[in-house]
Amino acid sequence: MIPAKIIRFLEERANIGFAGTRDANLVPSGHRLAGWQIDRSGRTVTAFMPDASSPQLLEALRDNGRIAITFEEVGTHEAYQVKGRYLSHRPVRPDDVELSGASRERFARSLRSLYNDEQAAALMAASIPAPGLAVEIGVDEVFLQTPGPGAGARIAP
Amino acid sequence: MTEARLPQEIRPALDNGVPCLMVTCSADGTPNATVISQVHYVDDTRVALSFQFFSKTIKNVRENPRAWAGVMDVVGQVDWLLDLEFERSETEGPIFDAMDMQIEAIASATGMSGVFKLRAADIYRVLSVGKRPF
Repeated sequence: MIPAKIIRFLEERANIGFAGTRDANLVPSGHRLAGWQIDRSGRTVTAFMPDASSPQLLEALRDNGRIAITFEEVGTHEAYQVKGRYLSHRPVRPDDVELSGASRERFARSLRSLYNDEQAAALMAASIPAPGLAVEIGVDEVFLQTPGPGAGARIAP
Repeated sequence: MTEARLPQEIRPALDNGVPCLMVTCSADGTPNATVISQVHYVDDTRVALSFQFFSKTIKNVRENPRAWAGVMDVVGQVDWLLDLEFERSETEGPIFDAMDMQIEAIASATGMSGVFKLRAADIYRVLSVGKRPF
């Protein structure tokens, strides 16, 4: 499960996320996250994905269920990777869209302080897609992903 | 799978300094998603990715050479999606030197000097190129 202090990081500071899946031939592919929600127990993550990545994403998840998600705080480079398995999916709800908006705002805030350039920050913040699909993932492992010699160290279990 | 050619319009996105996304997969089928500093243009059929730490990514591509990279074109408002195949690793020469210099510049600009250090330039063949609007 995800430790409590990392849940807080994911809810309050992480501002970008993306997922990796693979097909039946072990060919990997990546998908941008539009936002996320962490279950209080830290046992599941719900990833909000754009409609554009849905067909390939769902095909991979239905085939083998394996998924990795990296979350990062742009600016500090603090990052964690969650590895797990697909549980279910559904269309996003209004409260999911609100959570997605909160992570986009954290991203924009961090870009504004990094670049001190409203236009550049707005262009980059626009890269966070609108959510279309909510994918529930069971958490199996958590790794430190912050750049440095400790990157890749297992945090849980 | 056959080789694909990188279009000229991808070049500004490769040089924009925005971190890129990379996904690999281990031989046992576990995907790994990570952020990388840059995707370096080698020629119109090859790119080089930085090998900075002894990471899961490095281990994965040596047991399963397939990889995926996502490059953000902030101005064009698209993600470039690259399917790649690991070919070789270089620890010296012009590609390594050019990447080393760029990594140092990125590290300096992002407060990561002394953390980002290039160990090798990993060369990948481009198998397909696509783009997805934001």
